[in-house]
Amino acid sequence: MNSGLRTFAAKLRGLFAGQKDEMDDEIRSHLRLLTERFIANGSSPKDAAAAARRQFGNAALLEEDRREQQTFRPMENLWRDVRYGARQLRRNPLFATIAVLTLALGIGANTAVFTLLDQLVLRLLPVRDPARLVMIWPAGPNLGNTEGPRPVSYPMYQDFQRKAEALESVICQYDAAESVTIDGSTERLNTEAVSGNYFEALGVAPALGRVFSPEMDDRVYRGHPVVVLSHRFWAERFGGDPRVLGKKILVNNYPMEIVGVSAAGFAGLDPSSSPHIRIPILMLPVLPTDGESLVDRRAQWLHVFARVKPGYTVQAARASLQPLFHQILEEELQEPALSKVSPYDRAQFLKRTLEVETAANGYSDLRQQYSTALMVLMGMAGLILLIACSNVAGLLISRAAARQKEIAVRLAIGAGRRTLIRSLLVESLLLSVAGAALGLAMSVVATRGLLAMLPREGTLLMLHAQPDARILLFGVGVALATGLLFGLAPALQGTRVDVWSSLKDAAGSLSGGRNSARLRRILVTAQVALSFLLLAGAGLFAKTLISLKSTGTGLQDLGSLVTFQVDPRGPHYSVTQIRDFYANTLEAIRALPGVKSAALSVVPLLHGFEWNGNVAVEGHQAKDGEDMNAANNVISPGYFLTMGIPLVAGRDFDDRDRFDGGDPSLKPSVVIVNRKFAERFFGKQSPIGRHIGNSKPGAKLTAEIVGEVENALYDGPRQAVRPQVYYAQYEAPVPLAAVFYVRTTTDAGALFPVVRGVVAKLDPTLPVFEMKTVETQMDEVLSTERLIASLSVVFGALATVLAALGLYGVMAFAVAKRTKEIGLRVALGAPRRSVLWLVLREVLLLLGAGLLVGVPCAYAFSRYVSSQLFGVAPTDLSVCAAAVLVLGVVAAVSGFVPARRATAIDPLTALRYE
Amino acid sequence: MTKGKAVDGKKSEVLQGTLDLMVLKTLHALGPQHGFGIARRIEQLSEDVLKLNEGTVYTSLVRLLQRGWIASDWGTSENNRKARFYSITKRGLKQLARETEDWERISGVIGRVLRLEGER
Repeated sequence: MNSGLRTFAAKLRGLFAGQKDEMDDEIRSHLRLLTERFIANGSSPKDAAAAARRQFGNAALLEEDRREQQTFRPMENLWRDVRYGARQLRRNPLFATIAVLTLALGIGANTAVFTLLDQLVLRLLPVRDPARLVMIWPAGPNLGNTEGPRPVSYPMYQDFQRKAEALESVICQYDAAESVTIDGSTERLNTEAVSGNYFEALGVAPALGRVFSPEMDDRVYRGHPVVVLSHRFWAERFGGDPRVLGKKILVNNYPMEIVGVSAAGFAGLDPSSSPHIRIPILMLPVLPTDGESLVDRRAQWLHVFARVKPGYTVQAARASLQPLFHQILEEELQEPALSKVSPYDRAQFLKRTLEVETAANGYSDLRQQYSTALMVLMGMAGLILLIACSNVAGLLISRAAARQKEIAVRLAIGAGRRTLIRSLLVESLLLSVAGAALGLAMSVVATRGLLAMLPREGTLLMLHAQPDARILLFGVGVALATGLLFGLAPALQGTRVDVWSSLKDAAGSLSGGRNSARLRRILVTAQVALSFLLLAGAGLFAKTLISLKSTGTGLQDLGSLVTFQVDPRGPHYSVTQIRDFYANTLEAIRALPGVKSAALSVVPLLHGFEWNGNVAVEGHQAKDGEDMNAANNVISPGYFLTMGIPLVAGRDFDDRDRFDGGDPSLKPSVVIVNRKFAERFFGKQSPIGRHIGNSKPGAKLTAEIVGEVENALYDGPRQAVRPQVYYAQYEAPVPLAAVFYVRTTTDAGALFPVVRGVVAKLDPTLPVFEMKTVETQMDEVLSTERLIASLSVVFGALATVLAALGLYGVMAFAVAKRTKEIGLRVALGAPRRSVLWLVLREVLLLLGAGLLVGVPCAYAFSRYVSSQLFGVAPTDLSVCAAAVLVLGVVAAVSGFVPARRATAIDPLTALRYE
Repeated sequence: MTKGKAVDGKKSEVLQGTLDLMVLKTLHALGPQHGFGIARRIEQLSEDVLKLNEGTVYTSLVRLLQRGWIASDWGTSENNRKARFYSITKRGLKQLARETEDWERISGVIGRVLRLEGER
């Protein structure tokens, strides 16, 4: 091996050195010396020279030998093969076009899905030493509030920072979208609150000014009114102007100073989206969150990342952190907030574990949501490519059969079989490279299409469709692999030619060997099997989407229900002012022409967003571990009317429920529950007048149920209807966010600018965001399902078309080969129908064989996709039957055309054929 | 590949691969030599049993140079001509030892096999 490498290096040197001339000199002098010796032995000079040459051997042959040794013969041959292959392909443009297009479809589909998969799942973060980066979060019940996935409380974060031995540079971050005023105009910007050591830990330098440091920006609660811009936002919003340093901007109306810009290319820890600005975590009070969050151990809301120390694996770090974590849990149980928990809850609490997972490629909600879907799609795209490959292989086999004579001639005049195989493979590679080039171009368009299917409201989505070096490399790799995959078998098959019989065969005969016909049949069988997989998958995903979409939302006419958000919370608005702002907004909107009613709620519906809590219910003794969870919402009066949710019993909220000052905990409050809640806890009895409370030990059942409403969806159709409790907005003692809902009798789109105008009149600095119809919202919450369903249907259709082409090709080939036989049968009086059956029988056999392979495979694969399904079993019979039916029809059609041709054969011509 | 051709029946063809071994051994035994010298030495030792196309010596030299088993240098020959001298390298010595061992093992086996046939 090593000496092979040295030989290669020597050849490389030989390319540049004048070795050949030196060697010529040597050989000349050798011949001279030999001649002199013969003369000395008494030969004549002429004889001596001849004898010397004889003794030296064939100099020309030697020269050839040496050239082979000293130069890259294979390289020169390769170039020759490339030119030859290109000429062959040009000579048969139809074949080349079909093959390249087929491959382009396959490679394009793969590249498109891979582009997204790579950016969202595979790529490492552009930070220092990403391999050692981990994400840390506690799993299990917190007995408090949790926000979003994988949340950690701020005090626990501090514990890790101070005490975790396996970790260094523990950082925390919190994502939010805030109203930021720059030069008088206000926009919603992605804002990331980060710990002071954030940039230092990730090794991200400032591009301008400074970034945060633990010393300067992580000391005083509310004491660091400073902002670092992301490079991209700086370039887009400020045109890269260095004078932004020292500029004052308002974050939720709180003045803060721009002190720097982070390095170009650094987007953050989420590969799918990027914050525009970053603020120190101690500036949390500026955000409309509960300021208590920084000291409350029961509030989990942060993401925590860290580096594992050298010498620790992720697993070792995880194990070594558990004792510390349990010590923290024990301490937390001593706190007053948890002093009254039941023994059961206490045991559950102590069973919590600390999760540590590599974060080398960051953390992304979008990834959590889409990665399985993308993996499934990648698998499907791979199947498409396999079908495309087998199709092209089929084409190549019939081509090789047609080229048998050419190959026989080349073999007869002394080409080695290896040389021929190589030149055929080069031809395949030319096809696959051309296919890859076209496929890459197609994938850019396709990726844009895919991105358009992801909801991107308000976020700076970092995913893009432009191919980069990695994608190009992927394309080249796929091209080479496919070229070999579809080229090898036909090349091996095609060069196994009986030279003698091929050459003596009469011109025009198609004597494709029995082997190549069998190979083609195997390929078509595989295509049918793969197509079945894809069709069954497409059927399952389409059915999932349909059943999700047809899940009754419990709301009326989503198309004329407009929703939007506006967020006045911040230092400039008191709780009362916020309440007034909401009331004024609702009043102004209700007065608009074409508006039937308007209301607000705190939790946006069908948003994948939830706020839930455990309840205690009058007359219901909760067993240990019983699910007492209910989904909460806080609403204004008129909410049910606006949403179209009918009242079953009792009443809606109204002015009676208005909170009029004093200690809110003393005032008996009112709630409305949905039918599911009522049936769950009260059975057939009426819930009206009964009481509920929160499940905290010793808490009183202070809330009276005043109404029961019909069921409606909450976070999304997948989660179905949940037991729900509605609270009156008037009672809230803290500033709450608001989602507005407007029921219109006119065109929803026309209402958008009018509503914006209304809000601008009340406060021009507040941006209106997430404005759309609830119908659009429903589509967005189903975007994963839509993505999978529509792509898999496209893939399924593509697969079916390719399989049809393959079947047609095989049958056309078979009929052409059997022309003489069929002609003979017809001449002997075989009825047309039996000829038709002769051909169709073979089609059915191929179809049956394909299904025989495909159905069990589909069954085996179904469990990998079951997590993506809804309302349909992975082994759904109707989907299976539909896929079989589609394939059957397609097979019949693609077999029928050659079959018809066979019946139309004129026995006279057929017998003269050859 | 060596392209030695037996002109008359009495001379054996140089076995494939053995020429390299002979060249290496020659350089090992005699020290640095030029191509002509190597050819003479092999001719002398083979006592006209082997038919050697001397040109193939150069093919062998190129091959050995590329593998790094020999090195070459310009020097002056006995009759004051500028000539390229080849010498065996450290790696070449190791290779020689390895190949000699292989050769002896194989020739031993073949010898035994041939004797076996003789006893029948």
